[in-house]
Amino acid sequence: MGSNRSLQVKLKRIAQELASHKSELHQTRRYLQCILQNSKDLIFATDVDGLLVSFSSGGEKLLGYSWKEVAGSPVKNLAYDPESFELFMATCHQEGSAVQLDLPFRDKAGNTVYCNVSLINLTNREGQRVGTVGVCQDITLWKNMQEDLVRIDRLAEIGRIAAGVAHEINNPLAIISEASGWAAEVIGDAEGLSLEARKELEKVVGSISAQTKRGRRITHQLLDFARDSAPGKTEFDVHELLEETISFLRPELKHLPIETHFKFSPGPLRINSDPRMLEQIFVNLIANGIHAIREKGGEKGRIDIRTLKKNSEVEISVEDSGVGIPEKDRQKIFDLFYTTKTAGKGTGLGLPICQNIAKKLGGNITFHSKAGVGTTFTVRIPID
Amino acid sequence: MSDQSNIRVLLVDDEEALLEFLSKRLLKQGFTVKAAFSGEEAIQVAKEEPYDVAVVDLKMPGIDGVETQKRLKEIQPFLQCIVLTGHGSIESALESGQRDAFQYLLKPVDYDNLLALIKDAYKKKVDIQEARFREQVEEIYRSGMGAHGIKKAIAELHKIYGIE
Repeated sequence: MGSNRSLQVKLKRIAQELASHKSELHQTRRYLQCILQNSKDLIFATDVDGLLVSFSSGGEKLLGYSWKEVAGSPVKNLAYDPESFELFMATCHQEGSAVQLDLPFRDKAGNTVYCNVSLINLTNREGQRVGTVGVCQDITLWKNMQEDLVRIDRLAEIGRIAAGVAHEINNPLAIISEASGWAAEVIGDAEGLSLEARKELEKVVGSISAQTKRGRRITHQLLDFARDSAPGKTEFDVHELLEETISFLRPELKHLPIETHFKFSPGPLRINSDPRMLEQIFVNLIANGIHAIREKGGEKGRIDIRTLKKNSEVEISVEDSGVGIPEKDRQKIFDLFYTTKTAGKGTGLGLPICQNIAKKLGGNITFHSKAGVGTTFTVRIPID
Repeated sequence: MSDQSNIRVLLVDDEEALLEFLSKRLLKQGFTVKAAFSGEEAIQVAKEEPYDVAVVDLKMPGIDGVETQKRLKEIQPFLQCIVLTGHGSIESALESGQRDAFQYLLKPVDYDNLLALIKDAYKKKVDIQEARFREQVEEIYRSGMGAHGIKKAIAELHKIYGIE
């Protein structure tokens, strides 16, 4: 009887222990679930063959796939370059400990998502590897910012060199300009020229002077671009400036079937910034819009200019109903000398200059575009 | 063109070819033109004859454009200077306190723009010169000197202002 009793006590104790373990296990599982559900990171687990057995809701949001869509599929297929991801997994197997690397993934829509990935072997109680656990943090924003900085730096450097060249070219250009002007006058006064010869000479001189002007436009824009002057600070009304800009472009707009519409926030929009620099941005953006609409052709084009006050900044957007920017060009539109316009029409300086100015004013420029529908450029500038 | 014939322009640039064509064009327009190929030469020339407007290149060997226009104004205080530059340094010139130039222009200049500026500069020169002349004439009358003294003093003024 006594042994039966002690057995019962033992059983009771084991049952208690089990219950406590169970609750501990439950607690741990809850804890893990909380992490998996709340973390913005992509957290996954695979089996030994690298097939997904767990995929966090952060991962679902980050890559756009639901767990059901990826369950049981190879994790490497989520990577931008599956082969290098596999290599990375192999390194993890060998090292046994956690390894970290920046790797690009590809989301459901096909966009590249940069992640800082850390992998660790998942082992069982016997120390055997049963899979891999990965934690991937989205660093796309950081990566893009880094690339922007490098590009802006490079742009500034190219700008400095180009400005030096532009300066040297300006002097001979000035001489050509005056020489052709003088030649035109000599031809005008010359006697004994046949009508044909006169016409031909006038055409030639006209062409020299037109090309000189073209050269001048390039060198002047380059110098504008490279000029490292600090922006001024004046209080002015953005709406007034936009209206002035449009009236400045009026001669160009007059003969075109383009309507411009102001959709301003109510009242004046006073900010403390550099009006001349900002004007340069507007002129460039609107001129680009005009060009995009002409490119598209058709009956009527439209340019909408909107303003919006947003906390400590103002947002000015210029929307055109033009051809739009083809997908392949979108990456490059802020590159110096990159242009889609025909030779002689564009210098490839407009948008880099705009971006440079916006940066100097403490703001930025973004755009979205749809081929065949139009493009919207949005400028954000701090109010003060 | 007759209104231009009395505008005396002094061109200063070390680019001789540029001055050759520019002076020919301005001469044909009816301006009175003198070309100087350095700041030193311009200063020498300004000591000998009065001018209304000087067009000065910023970057020259020897004394540069900013210094040249400063010294020209010391010799002829009413002279208006248009400073040309092939450099994006218009602002640096302005920032260094050299604001007394009538206008800074980026090379190559637009010829019509330059013409208009020369005329504007001339107008400004005449305006301030006349205002100052009247002031001084009034001073002479107020000074209470005799008719002979006044005549002599005004003749002296005519000489100073280059008015025949």
